[in-house]
Amino acid sequence: MKHLKSFNKKAKMLDQTTSPDEVEEVVAMQSVVGCTSTNDPGWEVDPFGGLGSLCQPMESDLYGCADACWWPAQVPDTMSSQPNWSMDVSKANEDWRKLEGIFPEEQK
Amino acid sequence: MKIKKSKHALLSVSALALMGTMLTPAASWATDGETLIQEKCLLCHTNTGNPEAPYSRISQQRKTPEGWHMTLNRMQRMNGLVISSDEVQAVIKYLSDTQGLAPSETAPFRYVLEQKPNVVEEVDPAYVEMCARCHSNARFGLQRRTLGEWQLHVNTHMAINPTTELHALARDRDWYDIAYNDVVPKLAVDYAFNDPAWNQWQAKVKPSLNGSWSVAGFMPGKGDYSAVLQTKETSKDNFSVSMKGHYADGTPLQGEGSAKVFAGYEWRASLTIDGIKMRQVMAAAEDGSSLSGRMYQSAHDEIGGELTAVHGSAVVALSPSAIKQGQQKEITIIGADLKGSVSLGNGVQVVKVLSRDADRVVVLAKATGSASVGMRNVSVGKAKAKAQLAVYDEVAAVQVLPNESIARIGGNGGNIAKMQSTYRALAFSAGKDGQPGTADDLRLGYMQALWSLQAFDEAAEHEKDLKYAGSIDGNGVFTPGDAGLNPERKFSTNNVGNLKVIAQVLDGDKAVEGDAHLLVTVPVFVKRAIQ
Repeated sequence: MKHLKSFNKKAKMLDQTTSPDEVEEVVAMQSVVGCTSTNDPGWEVDPFGGLGSLCQPMESDLYGCADACWWPAQVPDTMSSQPNWSMDVSKANEDWRKLEGIFPEEQK
Repeated sequence: MKIKKSKHALLSVSALALMGTMLTPAASWATDGETLIQEKCLLCHTNTGNPEAPYSRISQQRKTPEGWHMTLNRMQRMNGLVISSDEVQAVIKYLSDTQGLAPSETAPFRYVLEQKPNVVEEVDPAYVEMCARCHSNARFGLQRRTLGEWQLHVNTHMAINPTTELHALARDRDWYDIAYNDVVPKLAVDYAFNDPAWNQWQAKVKPSLNGSWSVAGFMPGKGDYSAVLQTKETSKDNFSVSMKGHYADGTPLQGEGSAKVFAGYEWRASLTIDGIKMRQVMAAAEDGSSLSGRMYQSAHDEIGGELTAVHGSAVVALSPSAIKQGQQKEITIIGADLKGSVSLGNGVQVVKVLSRDADRVVVLAKATGSASVGMRNVSVGKAKAKAQLAVYDEVAAVQVLPNESIARIGGNGGNIAKMQSTYRALAFSAGKDGQPGTADDLRLGYMQALWSLQAFDEAAEHEKDLKYAGSIDGNGVFTPGDAGLNPERKFSTNNVGNLKVIAQVLDGDKAVEGDAHLLVTVPVFVKRAIQ
């Protein structure tokens, strides 16, 4: 890396995320139950334990996650489990209010 | 599963559903789980001919009630199972009782059944990048399968979620080969179907959970509470329940509902308390002397707290659980059958008993200036002490719990509610060495705090996360910002943010601070009974 210079914001973040303290922070946050640690680029948290490298706003690329079954524990996968989830909402960044959640029925 | 747009697009699935409807006779009579399995599940599953494990792919697994519920949901969603809600409950009950988990098997993972938020797991490195990348450790840690079933489990993942192999931490290695040949044999040992713990638990006589229980608990925004929980078994393993008590500030608490017990110890209750639907998930002690777990709002499971219920005469908890040398303060003693005189230990006098109820005694206590620093056993008459009072010199450190946390944006006219996060300030005195953060620190319990937020780092400050991501109230309850695109932010970024939660505990004229990390992030669109 010594001959390479960070050019954009993300590259600078990569450079900065090298201290052991920061690595520990990343590990801790990714292990919170319910968060995915599939960090390319990450759903709740980015590879650096923050938010700067996530797709934002989330709605603009939501179907890129759903159609590719990328975070099936967080986003309905329209490939297999929930093929009709987004059928009536062609543009998530405009009509995100219409999207439903898939939540468990309470056990009696 | 609750989804309005649930039309099955796949012809094969629709055809299976139709077949299920056509071949299934009116099943109103078939209320017992075993009959339902034979009638509904054996349309696809087969009889093995082995009376020890009669049904293919069913008899080779053991799960919690929530685990079996998820299986049945998936069978309905993807495999055309046609079954009523009552029938689902009957099958869950049967399978949880006959192919469930022993108390010792669920003990490491109670938090996920209790829907406790912001738990950081310690995951075996062999599972971190393979299973725990998407799921909690508890998700697979609460299943028991034969080797063959764990193998089929991996193959099912490949069929349903084929891009698993293409994710980060998968595409750089032979993911399937590692999963099938390395991880599966380990799962079959670590989470073995034939663990003797289950057979031993099944052979035991299960305790009766009928009667009167003394309850101590905590509810975010309300504080500590004490109550009497009355349980009455109306039919085998089904109970009517009522709860009556007080929050620490004297506000009454009252509710009723019903409960069901699975596998002889898994307590699941639904109650309406002061107009709010609540859920109790508790485990009974093997001797039946106590129940412990968590109670939370059914619609917002992040809003909840731990609770303990004990049978018989006992002191269960103190609120608050610490007194400073020379200080005079009200202390609420929570317990059952609290008759007789109150003792708070050496150097702590009961100045006055302020009030007495079945579930609590409120006293005005005074610690002498020379009372030694340390823990005191508390008793009321003959009631056994299960809680201790700390006498301290000064608050030396404050820990904010949970230390790592997330909240999720929501609301704003959308269908996904905001997910709040809640915090408590746990105080410590320094102990004999005078240094906080060492082994001899004295745990003083939770204390009132002044709550505030800060940007977590420079990037958060630059993005004005503090302005957009949400706010915290005086009870340590954080409410995240609205869902949706925010045109005020660069690229119309959501109201996400990287924040620090600060608690300030006042100790005389001194203030002691602690902090925790909070990531305010995007919603989840999928939620399972076991995340």
